[in-house]
Amino acid sequence: MSTDTATLPVGRYAYDQVDRTFLSQRVAQFREQVGRRVAGDLSEDEFKPLRLMNGLYLQLHAYMLRVAVPYGMMGADQMRELAHIARTYDRDYGHFTTRQNIQFNWIRLEDTPDILERLAGVNMHAIQTSGNCIRNVTCDEFAGAAADELLDPRIHAEILRQWSTLHPEFSFLPRKFKIAISGSPHDRVAARFHDIGLVAHPGPDGRPVFDVFVGGGLGRTPIIGVHLRDNLPEEDLLAYLEAVVRVYNAYGRRDNMYKARIKILVQALGVEQFREKVDAEFAQMNRADYRLEPAIVEGIRARFGIPDLDAPADAARKLEADRKADARFDRWVRTNTHTHRHEGFISAVVSIKPDGGIPGDVTADQMDLIADLADEFSFGEIRVTHMQNVVLGHVRKDRLRDLWRRLEGAGLGTPNIGLVGDIIACPGLDYCALANARSIPIAQKLSARFANPELQENIGTLRINISGCINACGHHHAGHIGILGVDKRGEEFFQLTLGGSAENDVAIGQIIGPALPEDETVDAIARLIDTYLVLRNEGEAFIDTYRRLGAASFKDAVYAPA
Amino acid sequence: MDVRNNRRDMTGASVITANRLLDGRIVWLAPQGWSEAISQARVFDNAAVEDAIRQARAADANTVVGIYGVQLDPDATHITPLTVRERIRAFGPSVHPDFAPVETSHVH
Ligand code: HEM
Ligand code: SF4
Repeated sequence: MSTDTATLPVGRYAYDQVDRTFLSQRVAQFREQVGRRVAGDLSEDEFKPLRLMNGLYLQLHAYMLRVAVPYGMMGADQMRELAHIARTYDRDYGHFTTRQNIQFNWIRLEDTPDILERLAGVNMHAIQTSGNCIRNVTCDEFAGAAADELLDPRIHAEILRQWSTLHPEFSFLPRKFKIAISGSPHDRVAARFHDIGLVAHPGPDGRPVFDVFVGGGLGRTPIIGVHLRDNLPEEDLLAYLEAVVRVYNAYGRRDNMYKARIKILVQALGVEQFREKVDAEFAQMNRADYRLEPAIVEGIRARFGIPDLDAPADAARKLEADRKADARFDRWVRTNTHTHRHEGFISAVVSIKPDGGIPGDVTADQMDLIADLADEFSFGEIRVTHMQNVVLGHVRKDRLRDLWRRLEGAGLGTPNIGLVGDIIACPGLDYCALANARSIPIAQKLSARFANPELQENIGTLRINISGCINACGHHHAGHIGILGVDKRGEEFFQLTLGGSAENDVAIGQIIGPALPEDETVDAIARLIDTYLVLRNEGEAFIDTYRRLGAASFKDAVYAPA
Repeated sequence: MDVRNNRRDMTGASVITANRLLDGRIVWLAPQGWSEAISQARVFDNAAVEDAIRQARAADANTVVGIYGVQLDPDATHITPLTVRERIRAFGPSVHPDFAPVETSHVH
């Protein structure tokens, strides 16, 4: 099949007929399984694993469908289909998650085969969004655009997607398995909090190589991934990862679900012994079967559409003038954009965290608008981020102000990226069947309290992450301020952790004391932030002050209110 | 099943809940079948609720899923679960008052 580059979707992989046939067969199979369940031919115990294989959970209020967005990339056509699903089959909204997926919270079992069919129509699906398999591979939201990028990680993310999808050996691992890949020296994917984290860069001869981290994770036992090896050659990428997952599949614990993740195995064996086992497996494999020849990689790369980056010579100057003319726009550019590799372009971050809003929630109309804006301003390409925001990757600088105006008009122009309002929150007890406490209301109260953009900018970089239970879907351990919901006799309490980070300065937050009742939590965090404002040195962000002074200075603020 | 779903005292009263198979919606065991409104639910003495749960599981395994009992707040005037979790199930997500279950007068 020839690839006509002019018609390829920008920024994502173009499915071929084989991919499409496979998806429609899967939908037909699930339709039949639903039919058998409804007819009573399958019991719930028999049916549950089948629905989970299609991303369908039973949550607190209804079924929840988790749709994969491979490495966070999608097209305007796909976003419009998600809007249609939200409008037709849900309650007019969807929810972006920290794993670059979208979840729908009010789905009917009866409708699910139709929804999956509609998704398949735009080359999307919910396969491997649940279960003990290799989940959606996540990637840098500025991939292929960032000025600091060394290698576009999407090509290898797509190769890993193809390798891991329905991998016969890895469909029943001891536990779920998550891989993240970055192509920038600045870790924007939380590589060290994944089962496998890959950092790609060019090797000595210019060919891609990978630094490999393994056994990181959050959840009940938060662990920072250990460094397994450097400079893994591209041609051995699949063989080596296959060896890692094989060792895990062979030795990972299956007797205790809470000790089943690869992080427990790596800790139990020690990194030396784990590495030896991987190396032994790697040495005896028939590596030729897995070899990623440059031609294969180029074949994958050729199925990605490339944006035609052509900007007028004065685009950057026009943006400077626009910023001078409008202080509010200038603020948004400061907080919500990222430097592009092309001087005439910029990446724009659309905050899905309006003041007092629900982090990650988007209405059907907003999805349609984002799709339209992607078509008009960014080659029809959209990224969802692990911070629950949306990125338009390639916006011409001279058109940025037009984009901002349109976003503002739809409540999508909040200038808070990286600031206190940009809170990660899992669905918590409002939706999640596993939760101990609500996450969303805390996020709403905090972002409303710190809504003033000048105050937010003054406070500076601050990552607040909230999870409704120990599973840590909201990455609380990785927050500068982490908030964990706990249950005490049916009532909600919140435990605070300080000092976590998922970036290059990776750290697990430390618990600072007993959990607080719901109605005291937001005030305690406000006092914590006030304390930092008093104690900070010139130029320090919250995390710097915390690291300089330690927890003690902050403990008093939390537990001994004036 | 999650232990939290079965957390009940020895004394007091409970109602029985589940999710409807076809649409996943929360339902409560009423005198005649399952209702979307907790206000319609039949209240059991905790001494009798285990039996009632067993019976419902045997009878309705193909129309509802995840049947369990929910302890009620003895101090509330209306039928109100004791825990935050079950109050959210009964009255809808706290962050979307517009998604509260609609009181339907008929029981089906
Ligand atoms: C609402 C349905 C959900 C359920 C039932 C669920 C369940 C779980 C469970 C059981 C774990 C612990 C896994 C382990 O450590 O073995 C977990 C971890 C996690 N989940 Fe969720 N989750 C849900 C929603 C979400 C959402 C909405 C997000 C994103 C906002 C998310 C992202 C994650 C992440 C990032 C982890 C941490 C994995 C790790 O590093 O250990 N989950 N989830
Ligand atoms: S952290 Fe707990 S409450 Fe939050 S989504 Fe994950 S499982 Fe649910």
